[in-house]
Amino acid sequence: MFSEKVTLVNPQGFHMRPASLLVAEVGKFESTVKIIRNGNEIPGNSLMAIMAAGIKCGEEIEVQAEGADEEAAGRAVVDFIASGMGD
Amino acid sequence: MDLTGTAASAGIGIGRVVVVEEPTLDYVSRTVEDTAAETERFNAAIASYVDYTNGQAQTMRETVGEKEAEILTGHVVMISDPYMQGEMVKLIEAGMCAEDALVQICDMFASMFEATGDELTMQRATDVRDVKTGVLAELLNKRPVDMGALPLDSIVVTHDLTPSMTAGIRPGAVAGVVTETGGLTSHSAILARAMEIPAVLSVPGSCHKLADGELVIVDGSKGTIVVEPDEATLEQARADQAAFAAERAELAKFIGCRTTTASGEAVELFANIGKPDDATQAMERDAEGVGLFRTEFLFMDSTSMPTEEEQFEAYKKAALICKNKPLIIRTLDIGGDKEIPYLGLEKEDNPFMGFRAVRFCLAREDIYRAQLRALLRASAFGEIRIMVPLVTCVDELTAVKALIKRYMQEFDQEGIAYNPDIQIGVMVETPAAAVVADLLAEEADFFSIGTNDLTGYTMCADRGNDKVRYLYSTYNPAVLRSIKRIIEAGNEAGILVGMCGEAAADPTLIPMWIAFGLGEYSVSATSVLATRKAISLWTKEEACALADKVMQLKTASDVYEALQEAVR
Repeated sequence: MFSEKVTLVNPQGFHMRPASLLVAEVGKFESTVKIIRNGNEIPGNSLMAIMAAGIKCGEEIEVQAEGADEEAAGRAVVDFIASGMGD
Repeated sequence: MDLTGTAASAGIGIGRVVVVEEPTLDYVSRTVEDTAAETERFNAAIASYVDYTNGQAQTMRETVGEKEAEILTGHVVMISDPYMQGEMVKLIEAGMCAEDALVQICDMFASMFEATGDELTMQRATDVRDVKTGVLAELLNKRPVDMGALPLDSIVVTHDLTPSMTAGIRPGAVAGVVTETGGLTSHSAILARAMEIPAVLSVPGSCHKLADGELVIVDGSKGTIVVEPDEATLEQARADQAAFAAERAELAKFIGCRTTTASGEAVELFANIGKPDDATQAMERDAEGVGLFRTEFLFMDSTSMPTEEEQFEAYKKAALICKNKPLIIRTLDIGGDKEIPYLGLEKEDNPFMGFRAVRFCLAREDIYRAQLRALLRASAFGEIRIMVPLVTCVDELTAVKALIKRYMQEFDQEGIAYNPDIQIGVMVETPAAAVVADLLAEEADFFSIGTNDLTGYTMCADRGNDKVRYLYSTYNPAVLRSIKRIIEAGNEAGILVGMCGEAAADPTLIPMWIAFGLGEYSVSATSVLATRKAISLWTKEEACALADKVMQLKTASDVYEALQEAVR
């Protein structure tokens, strides 16, 4: 299983646009992607759950990926979050 | 019987009432035996909702615009979330009916969104509830009324104008809108303005007080509704309607244009706002930024000191609405004339010359610290500039700058983002600041002339006092010389000089400001386009010729007459 921590850098956190983009990123892979935040699991394919979590700029979260292409999926998601998610 | 409400979308609509009742979405909860069939019913409702909403988005894109259509495509994106649908299906499989499952999960997400504390996500809670209503209507087979089928010149009277209702409106068919709820920044108001349909909102009981077929005049500029008008009133309304349409068409030519004089000198044209939400209207009216955001409302509307966090959210909200356009925020301008118990301001004999604005703030660092830190934190979200009111000497500005520098160092240690190059300017509104404008210009990043107070302080005349009001006039040579001096001192130092008093939008004075070299005009949102037009009517040369003549005159009445005669 892929697992890596990453810090949110875009100032507005996960509002609708970056959350949609993240879900689209996850959708490119077969693996199941999860975000772990304060011990809670958030499904990486759910725009609503990601928005509802209200993760803010500066918070550290963990990305987990499990499946055939877990390494590539996890890496892509971590890089996307670290890049500021287009904000 | 005439009605009044909130004037939410300007213009005059004349037509016959159509009361549009939203279908009631009541249902009886029940437990389900055949959960597979219920899941199928649920999936079919979602598919049908997605289809219907996509169609409406397409219509809206064609009739209103991309931005408004995005509200609806956002609804489709939300309901398509596999995790959310999965949670609903789980409840159905446990024996809950589809309606209950939908309502429970949507309400849960809506309240979670509201609890995030993130302004953008909190606003989305409304959309989650719209999705809930939409899918519920599908499940109950009660789609909203088809607005596309209304007769020409209908006046739509409804509880609340929702985006899905609005989507079906054909331009021209709806002459006016009256709702029972909603304010200036509600979906109803924004959509009515985008479609240029006159609207009066928040008219309690209007769905019952107005009846189908009644002839009414809806005045969306004044917020009035006249029911069954007589012939003379109707005649007048038709004339007003034509005049309004002509004026709107004339000003529409200036939408999206840069603000320039007839000889091509570009200036900036901003709007004044009092609340973060007002920025929405300012942007709709094509303002190029906000030249004065008064922060007093945060303190006046509260019974205790607004925290740094509360202020941060308000400033950030305005910054996000302005996108990356300039947003000049004035720090607290308050004194003994206002009763705000928690501030501990004492009554004074002469509050306008007393312990107020920057004087008060510098003495009460506990209060100023929260505001300045909130402004700095919000500066990470847009082009925020800080404006200090009632400055009379350089020391006050340097003291504020020193505080800001200290808070920036705190943020560096705390790892909190801010704009290190944030501009700090002076609201020039005292005769003292005008006289030492050259000294202030060396320390300030910009000036904004507050003509209302500058006129009052320069002429030593309170415009609220009937006996001396005749002296309160920007046309006085003393005031004009003062303004000229301030603009020249700022331009000499290479900083932007703006104006945020009422005089900035006065068509008789605009040629004077062009001649003096004013770089930024900040006016009420409703005056933006008219000001852009007024500026476009003068070449720099013509304005200078007029100003040369006017600056020779000795009295305010001579100045007024000369400018009145020249006005375009």
